[in-house]
Amino acid sequence: MNTWDSLLLGLSFALQPHVLVYCILGVLLGSFVGVLPGIGAMAAISLLLPLTFYMSPEAALIMLAGVYYGAQYGGAVASILLRLPGTPQSAVTTLDGYPMTQQGRGGIALFTAMVSSFSGSLIGIVVLVMLAGWLSGLATRFGAADYAMMMIFGLVAASTIGASRPAKGFAMITLGVLLGCIGTDVNSGAQRFTFGHAELLDGLNLVALAMGLFGVAEVIANIRNPERQSIAARIPLRSLLPTRDDLRRLPLPILRGGTLGSFFGALPGTGSTLSAFLAYATERRLARQPERFGKGAVEGVAGPEAGNNAASITAFTPTLTLGIPGDPIMALMLGALIIHGVQPGPMMLEARPEMFWGLVASFGIGNLLLILINLPLIGIWIAMLRIPFNYLYPAIIVFLCLGVYSVRGLAFDIVLVAGIGLAGYLMTLAKLSPALLLLGFVLGPLIETNLRRALLIARGDPMVFLERPISAGFVLASMVLLLVPLWKIWRRKRAAADF
Amino acid sequence: MNTSITWRLALAGAICSVVLPATAQADWPSQPVRVFVGFPAGSSPDVLARIVTEALSERLGQPVVIENRPGAGGVIGIQQMLVSAGDGHTFGTTINGPMTTAQRMMDDTGFNVAEDIAPVTLLATSPLVLAVASASGIEDLESFIAAAGAEVDALTYGSVGQGSGAHLTAELFAAEAGVSMLHIPFTSYAEVTTSIIGGEINAGFMAPSAAMSFVEAGTMNVLGITSSEPFGQAPDVPLIAGNAGLSDDFRAELWNGFIAPAGTDEAIIARLSAEITEILSDPEVQERMLGMGWQVAPGTADDMADRIAADTEMWGAVIDRIEAQ
Amino acid sequence: MQRDWPEVWGGLILAMIGIGAAFYAWQNYDLGTLRQMGPGFFPVAMGVALCGFGLIIALPGLWRRSEGVPFDIASLLLILAAVLVFGLALPRLGLVGTAFATVLIATLPAERRGWVWRGVLALAITLVTVLVFHVGLRMTLPLWPRL
Repeated sequence: MNTWDSLLLGLSFALQPHVLVYCILGVLLGSFVGVLPGIGAMAAISLLLPLTFYMSPEAALIMLAGVYYGAQYGGAVASILLRLPGTPQSAVTTLDGYPMTQQGRGGIALFTAMVSSFSGSLIGIVVLVMLAGWLSGLATRFGAADYAMMMIFGLVAASTIGASRPAKGFAMITLGVLLGCIGTDVNSGAQRFTFGHAELLDGLNLVALAMGLFGVAEVIANIRNPERQSIAARIPLRSLLPTRDDLRRLPLPILRGGTLGSFFGALPGTGSTLSAFLAYATERRLARQPERFGKGAVEGVAGPEAGNNAASITAFTPTLTLGIPGDPIMALMLGALIIHGVQPGPMMLEARPEMFWGLVASFGIGNLLLILINLPLIGIWIAMLRIPFNYLYPAIIVFLCLGVYSVRGLAFDIVLVAGIGLAGYLMTLAKLSPALLLLGFVLGPLIETNLRRALLIARGDPMVFLERPISAGFVLASMVLLLVPLWKIWRRKRAAADF
Repeated sequence: MNTSITWRLALAGAICSVVLPATAQADWPSQPVRVFVGFPAGSSPDVLARIVTEALSERLGQPVVIENRPGAGGVIGIQQMLVSAGDGHTFGTTINGPMTTAQRMMDDTGFNVAEDIAPVTLLATSPLVLAVASASGIEDLESFIAAAGAEVDALTYGSVGQGSGAHLTAELFAAEAGVSMLHIPFTSYAEVTTSIIGGEINAGFMAPSAAMSFVEAGTMNVLGITSSEPFGQAPDVPLIAGNAGLSDDFRAELWNGFIAPAGTDEAIIARLSAEITEILSDPEVQERMLGMGWQVAPGTADDMADRIAADTEMWGAVIDRIEAQ
Repeated sequence: MQRDWPEVWGGLILAMIGIGAAFYAWQNYDLGTLRQMGPGFFPVAMGVALCGFGLIIALPGLWRRSEGVPFDIASLLLILAAVLVFGLALPRLGLVGTAFATVLIATLPAERRGWVWRGVLALAITLVTVLVFHVGLRMTLPLWPRL
């Protein structure tokens, strides 16, 4: 079957009325619950799961997938307007999205996020359609050594994000990795830093970490901040529309972010997070005035949003063809398939082409719906900022606590948020970037297990990292990233000495 | 009300509860029943629990609500069940790990199986299959054992974590076959299969459902299954028991069971056990479970208690051996 | 203008966390070998690295001048208290009682005076919370206080 036939098959499947209804239901629900920070897709999908018992597996998958990517549109709202990211990838969106809100350009940031999400998804779909076979095999070509070095490269590339000095960036990443050590060690089964709390055996709750570092810290810092109280006064109506200058800046970051995301999404586990951070780092490095970043640069919203949405589309290939879920939400969707006796695996594309291509077609339809629904809603979300902060922040506190609770129903996690919030507020005072901490927290455990696994398989020979071509490539790229700034400093000093 | 009538009623009730345990609890359940599951919604233990509770709620005439409290390999779910215990309407489902090996693998699980848990009934069991990449050229158990026996740690195998069923089964197998293999821990079967197909590791014990689609695609071979009888989902896979010089009683299975907090009324446990046994005899339920890789295994509370004791001993011996290394 | 105290303290706290974690891991977990790294290796390495980065952040702060930052201790303590109360009270007070109490505590640091608006706000947010989470998302939560 060629690409064109596959697409037609998919479209004819996805456009059946009952499938279309489920797709619409999914994206609508997704984009509304996505606005609730931390809760988003997870709670909505758990809620819908029993319903899917009575649906065809194809329709169930299309609806749940709709919730999944729909929630990413909604998630941008909380990140940009309130600095409440529920995931590490939306933490990247806050870096420039929230400063834009503070400058009264929140509408433009939302517009940028929506358009970039939509375009990023389209790029993801195109890549998926053209390269489905290649993408599904990509994960088997990556060994433990390759994963370890790829993620180290990711950390090195991202280390300068949002930090005023390199030492601060590295410190935050290291702290994140250290926090990631909490819980059961995969390799030895040892229980590290759990101090007798079984609730910590699976590690710190990521949503609790994100909510404490961003949400709680932001609320504390702003309660008596007169600037925040007057934010509403600074939103003229026309700021909802981007200027020509804003629009001119969008296409290239979207294209780069989408391409990066499409590739990393096909590698299970960290696709969305890594793509968002790398897209941001790329834009900052390529920018003529990198100092604009972190202070409201539209490219800083566009690249990462395109990247993580493209990644969440291509991430369905390893999920469906290898059965590897990229995150807990994907795992939930896999569960929904297995309830119906559909076992994801390498035969998926051949055995159930209508499911695979129907899903791909539904991505297109769903994203089109999402942008049509969400663009007009920007005005309403912005109106939320007109609510005096005194009335808004107690609601933020209640909602973020429930968001944390919804992950696994443990009050323990909410108590943790208080401690993490304290740390987050202190970090705000010392101008330390919580986004990098989250990146280290997410990638750290993966780096550790893959590094140790690679050495174990190689019977302790560290040359394994240079012998495998993919791993060696990432080692080289990381060295270049680390050495180029040093070389620039050296050259500047020599130039100064020549005078 | 006349005291003597009340007293007689109470006496009658007491006699009934001895003679007719099922009818004595006529007023049970008087409120929604909660079932704690130590795994996230959509996971296989969760889906098993949902299949059972769906039918159970019709039979009991009260809603049966699943409470997902994932974490620590199912231990958190049991802890949370015990926290809410005491109303006679709180139960749980669990996999074998927290009931048999968790006490050995964890510093402190916060509960004692014998004192705190009352078994209700087993729900289903799942064997594991031994899988290798088809590119390896190994097609039967005998050549696998020969390759593994070439030298110490000649072959590597993946599992879903230190102390997981897949890890302990592999060590049990290695001990019985007289070989030593290098253990590489992963976190999911999907990661293990990907690594086997990519040629990074050599083998792994895994759920049949995780392996069969790769066998169909021609990228993996399964060499044997750990159940004592051929398994419905993979009927062509030979038993490990009695094959390639292994003993006839080689058996290693994961299981899923329904539990109550200790102190729950015996009559309620007997009623639940009987209701679930009937649910599990429904061919449609059996087929749904088999599609997910689980064979129904109904029985009494005592059957489950025996299984817990036997498995605790068997895996305890394997853990002793691993720790001695 | 004064010394850059936030940087100095921030860096020192990080350094202390780092060295503390490294020491705890070194005491309690096996370091292992290169072939079979133990559970202690990574935490020790990361802890030492964090200690180093923390000192690099802290030391220059001693010579740098900066404007003081506002340290809002009342907001900090009261908001943390609100979150704590939410976590501790949820299993006992139910969603309604917990949300109401949390909002009341959270509004304490607000500069606007009076109690009427606080009460009304607590009622309103509790209502919205129940509608969204209990009615809408059907989260399994106790609604009312358990007596």
